[in-house]
Amino acid sequence: MAILNKLALGALMLGTAFGTSSTFAADQTITTVVKLAGETWFTRMEQGVKEYGEKTEGVAATQVGPGKADAAQQERLIEDLIAKKVDAIAVVPFDPPMLEGVLKRAMDRGIKVMTHEANNLKNTMVDMEAFDNAAFGAHFNDQLAKCMGEKGTWTSFVGSLGSLTHVQWADASAANAEAKYPGMKLVSPKNESFNDANTAYNKTKELLKKYPDLKGIEGGSAVDPIGIGRAIEEAGLTGKICVYGIGMPKDTSRWLQSGAVTGISLWDPKDAGFVMNKIAKMLIDGQEFKDGMDLGVPGYTNMQLKQGPGKGIILTGQAWIDVNKDNLDKYDF
Amino acid sequence: MSDFTWGNSTSEGAAWPKRIVAWLVRHPPAFTLILIVLVSVIVGAISPEFWQISNIFDMARASVVTGMFGLGFLMILAAGGIDMSFTAIAALVMYWITTAVAAYMPSMPMPLILLMAAAGGTLLGVCNGLLVHYLRAPALIVTIGTQYVIRGFLLTFIGTELFVNVPTSIESFGKYELWQVETDSGSIAVLPAYVLVLVVAAIVTWWILNRTLMGRAIFAIGGNSSIAERLGYDLRKVHVFIFAYAGLLAGVAGMLHVSSNRLANPFDLSGSELGVIAAVVLGGARITGGSGTVIGTILGVILVTLVNNVLILAGIPSSWQTFVVGCFIILAGTVFASRERT
Repeated sequence: MAILNKLALGALMLGTAFGTSSTFAADQTITTVVKLAGETWFTRMEQGVKEYGEKTEGVAATQVGPGKADAAQQERLIEDLIAKKVDAIAVVPFDPPMLEGVLKRAMDRGIKVMTHEANNLKNTMVDMEAFDNAAFGAHFNDQLAKCMGEKGTWTSFVGSLGSLTHVQWADASAANAEAKYPGMKLVSPKNESFNDANTAYNKTKELLKKYPDLKGIEGGSAVDPIGIGRAIEEAGLTGKICVYGIGMPKDTSRWLQSGAVTGISLWDPKDAGFVMNKIAKMLIDGQEFKDGMDLGVPGYTNMQLKQGPGKGIILTGQAWIDVNKDNLDKYDF
Repeated sequence: MSDFTWGNSTSEGAAWPKRIVAWLVRHPPAFTLILIVLVSVIVGAISPEFWQISNIFDMARASVVTGMFGLGFLMILAAGGIDMSFTAIAALVMYWITTAVAAYMPSMPMPLILLMAAAGGTLLGVCNGLLVHYLRAPALIVTIGTQYVIRGFLLTFIGTELFVNVPTSIESFGKYELWQVETDSGSIAVLPAYVLVLVVAAIVTWWILNRTLMGRAIFAIGGNSSIAERLGYDLRKVHVFIFAYAGLLAGVAGMLHVSSNRLANPFDLSGSELGVIAAVVLGGARITGGSGTVIGTILGVILVTLVNNVLILAGIPSSWQTFVVGCFIILAGTVFASRERT
């Protein structure tokens, strides 16, 4: 892993050096602005950004991000890009409403703007979402149902009842089970883990006491499966209870390998980075976006087009990937 | 609540209910114990699954980190101070030491790691103590400040990522078993050995507070610091000592958290300080300082842990749980306050 990290870091440094020097050579510059530089998630995204730049003639694609997860620093980075007059920026906003002003200025200067994970943002031309939250929640539930044999007691976790996406997933899961699997019984739904694996652990133990016949658990926060998995492994119930949730492959790998966590789902930031740049390039070229269009990356082959809150549009894919014991080694993040 | 007829309940020849009340007033921890029994009986009646040996194990395990924090807070409160920074100290120490050990010396034995955590926590605590003493500002505001500084430092300079490659020595320490039982439903319940760390910490804290000159100085300053100073107690020494001790316990608590959790998350533990303060106060210590016992604090910690870990058993929906905990704290707090008015 250390070697991989070093490789990624080296590639990153090379990439930045390359990016700036080739700015003059390339016709078009697309810069991706992420929430936090150096974070595993965005390091993986950078691979996709660079891959797009290498595969596409006449495009210099680079990625930048603040050293600290901070909306003001992200705003300053975008100001710099406006001054440099890049052709397009692709942003993963830390706090979308905070960037409304600076993104409007960018568009006024003729810079193409596309965003990711910001479907409430007004000043963007295209916002790209990897998937629809309700569909993602239903997908969790379908996996869980298959593992449980479509019957038995199950429950769900959320980071907190204030985490909008978590609650959307949990509610969509519950609705899916009610509509499709009459044999499944939901008990004590939406337990709050407060994004703390230890709380998820404690609550799982309590749930196991209260419902000794528990057969399935869904985690909503990325640390939930870790805490749930530990509780199950410690209780000697590995393999007897199905656990699905969102998670990072590397962080969850031990629990996936032991079988205490059955599977996790997520979207691959590398694919997202690639698609973001592809959309930015289409904006530069003035291409039209159509409902159901194919962006050439698995999960992004049938983009749903929707009007956004501003003048821009929202494109939604079905780009979740399911990671389990068998395909775990394919994901190095 | 503060029925005035109970006001002179300590007088000779009072009827037995009055005597019981009077005894409770003099022994606040007994009151905490009664609340624990009451909660257990009620939850046990609602949900018979409560009565399991594994439940006691789980409570004990869940009490350890809160208990360590509580003992440190008690020490500071007894001297009339307050501390809001202990969770930040624990988070910084646990994350920094865990990542550093993993990177540079993954085979370091656990006793050494715990020693490092204790030293790191103590150092941060000494800073707290010196700041509180020399700035002459309220400990509350100073430690809120240091909490932000420490957390900010951790997230800016040390890291923001979940760290899962915890060194084996830390991990296996959390797995040592004191006792293991199999439950009726076929699952296994384990009492981890690290609960002993809390037992040791409780004994040491009791000893400092009740058997040393430092303990006497702490309560004297907590009672009235200007009189204590005129009596010759060294304020600076006491301030530095109590914050250093609380820092030490916080550092060790952070390491125990990593060890049981098998991961280090820099965002963990933040926000848990209010539960700790509630536990210490529900254990009979006055929030204004100068009082409090170790046994009361431990009972208070058990009470708060209990209430937090039976909500699902009692069948309370997720969205109502924090509401119920809040009501319970108000209720228990009111009863405690009425005790002081009698």
